[in-house]
Amino acid sequence: MLTFERTFEQCQELIADLSFERVHRWKEQHPGARVIGYFPVYAPVEIIHAAGMLPVGLNGGGDRLDIQYADARFGSFICSIIKTTLEMGLRDHLKVFDGILFSSICDSARNLCFVMKRNFPDLYIDFLHLPHNPSSTASVDFLASEYHRLIKELERIGGKPVTEAGLQQAIALYSCNRQLIRSLYTFRAQKPHLLRAWESYVLIRAGHFMPVEEHNSLLEESLKQLSQRSGKPRDSIRVVVEGAFCEQPPLDLIKLVEDAGCYVVDDDFVIGQSWFVEDVPVGGDPVFALADSYVNRAVYSSVRHDFRAPRWEGLAEKVKRSKANAVLFLIAKFCEPAYFDYVLFKKKLEELSVPHLLLEFEEKQFTFDRVRTEVETFVESLVFD
Amino acid sequence: MGDAKHTEYRGSIHQRQKELMLKWYERLNEAAETGTPPAISLMISGNCVELLEAFGAVPIYPEVNALQLAIRHQSLEPILAAEEIGYAPDNCAYVKADIGCYLKGITPTGSKLPKPDLVLCNFVGCNTYVKWFEHTAVLTNSKLYVLDVPFLREDNPSQADIDYVVRQLKELVSLLEQITGRQFDYDRFVEAVRCSAQVEDLWSQIKHLARRSPSPFDAYFDAITLMGPLYVYRGTPEGVEFFRAALEEMQAKVAIGQGVYDQEKFRLVIEGPPPYPYFRAFRDMFAKWKACTVASTYSTVGGLWEFGARHDPDHPFEAVALHMLAHNVTNRNYLQRYEQIRRYLEDWNADGLIIHFVKSCRLFSAGQGDMRDYVTKTLGIPTLYIESDLEDPRYFSEAQTRNRVDAFFEALEHSKLTAAV
Amino acid sequence: MRIAAGVDVGSTQTKAVVMAENGGKTILARALVDTGANVRKAAENAFLAACHNAEIPATDVGFVVGTGYGRYNISFGNAQLTEISCHARGAHFVCPTTRTVIDMGGQDAKAISVGSDGQVLDFVMNDKCAAGTGRFLANAADVMGIGLDEIGPLSQRSTRPVRIATVCTVFVESDILSYLAQGKKGEDIMAGVHLAIAKRTLSLARRVSIEPDITMTGGVARNLGMVRALEQVLGTKMQVSPDAHFMGAIGAAVFALEKMDQSFESSTWRPEHAAGSGH
Repeated sequence: MLTFERTFEQCQELIADLSFERVHRWKEQHPGARVIGYFPVYAPVEIIHAAGMLPVGLNGGGDRLDIQYADARFGSFICSIIKTTLEMGLRDHLKVFDGILFSSICDSARNLCFVMKRNFPDLYIDFLHLPHNPSSTASVDFLASEYHRLIKELERIGGKPVTEAGLQQAIALYSCNRQLIRSLYTFRAQKPHLLRAWESYVLIRAGHFMPVEEHNSLLEESLKQLSQRSGKPRDSIRVVVEGAFCEQPPLDLIKLVEDAGCYVVDDDFVIGQSWFVEDVPVGGDPVFALADSYVNRAVYSSVRHDFRAPRWEGLAEKVKRSKANAVLFLIAKFCEPAYFDYVLFKKKLEELSVPHLLLEFEEKQFTFDRVRTEVETFVESLVFD
Repeated sequence: MGDAKHTEYRGSIHQRQKELMLKWYERLNEAAETGTPPAISLMISGNCVELLEAFGAVPIYPEVNALQLAIRHQSLEPILAAEEIGYAPDNCAYVKADIGCYLKGITPTGSKLPKPDLVLCNFVGCNTYVKWFEHTAVLTNSKLYVLDVPFLREDNPSQADIDYVVRQLKELVSLLEQITGRQFDYDRFVEAVRCSAQVEDLWSQIKHLARRSPSPFDAYFDAITLMGPLYVYRGTPEGVEFFRAALEEMQAKVAIGQGVYDQEKFRLVIEGPPPYPYFRAFRDMFAKWKACTVASTYSTVGGLWEFGARHDPDHPFEAVALHMLAHNVTNRNYLQRYEQIRRYLEDWNADGLIIHFVKSCRLFSAGQGDMRDYVTKTLGIPTLYIESDLEDPRYFSEAQTRNRVDAFFEALEHSKLTAAV
Repeated sequence: MRIAAGVDVGSTQTKAVVMAENGGKTILARALVDTGANVRKAAENAFLAACHNAEIPATDVGFVVGTGYGRYNISFGNAQLTEISCHARGAHFVCPTTRTVIDMGGQDAKAISVGSDGQVLDFVMNDKCAAGTGRFLANAADVMGIGLDEIGPLSQRSTRPVRIATVCTVFVESDILSYLAQGKKGEDIMAGVHLAIAKRTLSLARRVSIEPDITMTGGVARNLGMVRALEQVLGTKMQVSPDAHFMGAIGAAVFALEKMDQSFESSTWRPEHAAGSGH
């Protein structure tokens, strides 16, 4: 019987494994089955599941991969995840994948999709156009047709025929997954001293590498264990971490933020995994339901335009709901969407007199002294107010 | 003589182009002072300006403003103003310069710019376009409509793609009726589409003249001068008239074999926007070597018509949708750009490719190293890779850029000499 | 016997090489001076010193090619070529099997793909930041409080190089201080710095594809630690000549000999040019 702590370690190892060993094993256990990787932020994983395939979330090479070849293809002023993802491909780390999906999150990622198409012509690489005009009545119909296109492609490359029943089943499983993730966040917001940010992070992100059924079991078990945990609350400030995350911060950085005196009571590290604010409706046309949920039941995100509820209102709401004292903007170096949104987020927070700090990070960082000093200074300035 | 000053195109349409642009700024000024005509912010690439024409609305083009600022060496001040309120050094400088102008209340020509009656974002690939117009809408307290154009992710747009765009165009018509208080004039719309088709045809013919040797104009530096009327007057009779005159002038040059230089020593394709704050100096670097650009990808931001695409006035809504989906460089995928470059290199008979990486624009620049790899290794064409920015004057090193350009032409000259032997 | 010269005016040092052709081409002599603020003076001094070392009067030199960033400031130059062209030619002259040049100078780093007759096929440069240049290593040496000529040997004593993620010279300074504070050994830190630079340089070089033989040129080639780090990342040995620092001037001299045939111009050097020397 694993100790609870060991669970976190295992998850940490899992998400750092660039050989995708766990995914290889799944393939061996399911001969003939396919694996579809998806670049951040969101992908319609229910559809991939319904095709009998394993969806695997890709988040670049983290701090484990030296860029030797990808630099030559992408220049300066481009975020690291673009290069490490290409590097993974060029160094044969992506052998286990049968397909990779991209979507319209930013200009660099879009170009990456097509550069990879040229360099890996035998791999099914596709670009999903996720809509940016949700107030149009045509939006859901369009996305439904895009999802049908995806289904056709998945069937073409060896997926099992996608049925309504298969989709409903997948929807149920992933709705359960999102509920469990929500429970974790609720727990953390209420008792942040009992679940560290990095712990819940690795638990959630581990879901990128395993079938959703297994992830659901893992989360259920973890929640049970958590209810047994005890500990003393610390005198930390409650912060929301906001960063339009696609490129992920080094784990040490997440640990550092809390070590330096914060409780991270909400974040968007892997927001794609809890993308819907309400469950996808059951019954009726499941493809339509998924498309409708993307357009009308999605969280606010820097990679999705929706002016019916501007993102800064969403941030303000998040701060209020999680009873946060401050916002920590953690932005990946060169991340354009995040840096643009920062201007309007900041404006809103200033109107509401919510303290905030901006920190830049890269997925590959080994020394954190400067960052630590900045966070500590920020915490001190709030504590001694 | 091999320098920019003496080889820049300065024909009669150069003067006409200035007049047309001035007239446009006057219309904008009028809209600012009187509230008429309705003014609508719009992006250059893959847009539906014909719809605006149907309502007699005048387009506000923030990209043209940004360009004007940089070329007049006025871009740094607004960029700094934007950075002061939180924009990052790594945000697109086009956006920063434009936003900075609002913040400081300045305009490139000194004439007034109106508050937009609608901020209409034609989302055609460039994600930055969306952020830009979100910010503009907030800053000017105007209504925003993002027209979502599916990215060209397969060879051709699907029927679902076209239907989606057409439905949004029709929604836009209702919205414009509401905002302007004017009825949608379908005939005027068709006429605008017809004018666009004519302008496209003329522009395409002009571009094809550059296949001659010598080319009568520089398809990068001179094309940029002609692009103003293309954007602002595409769906109008003035536009047709202008490009008819431009074509005649170019044809006359071809008839007497007049090129940009006394001797056309090199023919180039250039990829990427120019460093606007250093436009002249940049041109000089190529003029020194009597290198004429015969084709450029940047000049197809407004529309890609060299390969036969045209607006079809018999199906105006579909025509506009198709233009937005497939006939502009920003909504086309990266591999389609490689293909475009390949066609230019082959059919326009070029000696080499210049890739100008600009810090601000990831749509153009992210992955240009792979483009370079494709052109040098797969096509075997000499390629030069240089870096700066299109708007921010702080990212250009004249000495270093000149050095790279010289090294490239030294090698190219050498290989031409040895090939001749 | 025909005699020509190449003068390479770099940002920190100016190099001159005098070369003769009598059947084959041979280097007669070299000279090296600090560039300083007066570029024209530096060029003259280097040229005269090389002639002096070659024991020939300056007026015997029939053609001079200038290269380097100060090439247009050489008053007595007959032609100017970029240092890219000259490094390729020079490396090819010294080692005719050269197909790739990796040049790490004081201010910039470049990789050049070289053809079978020494012509430039393709090139890539890093000239906008310190990564891969002498300046980067000089800064690192400063932070550690050791001499520039010591960093190479120091790095070679390391068995466990530290991991350096950044190649920004400003950030690497704080990385070094951080590691020193953690008690890491000087040689491990220096080795980490060298390795980071080697990886970055080769990352750049791969844009032009790296084909053997790889010749290293430029001042940083004198740093054996850097040479070893590059070879480690490459997985193969490089050609490093004792003339690595003079490669630009050598190439310029080779060009000068060739251009002398094609041109009716002869050297514009006159004894009056020496009027300003000796200050």
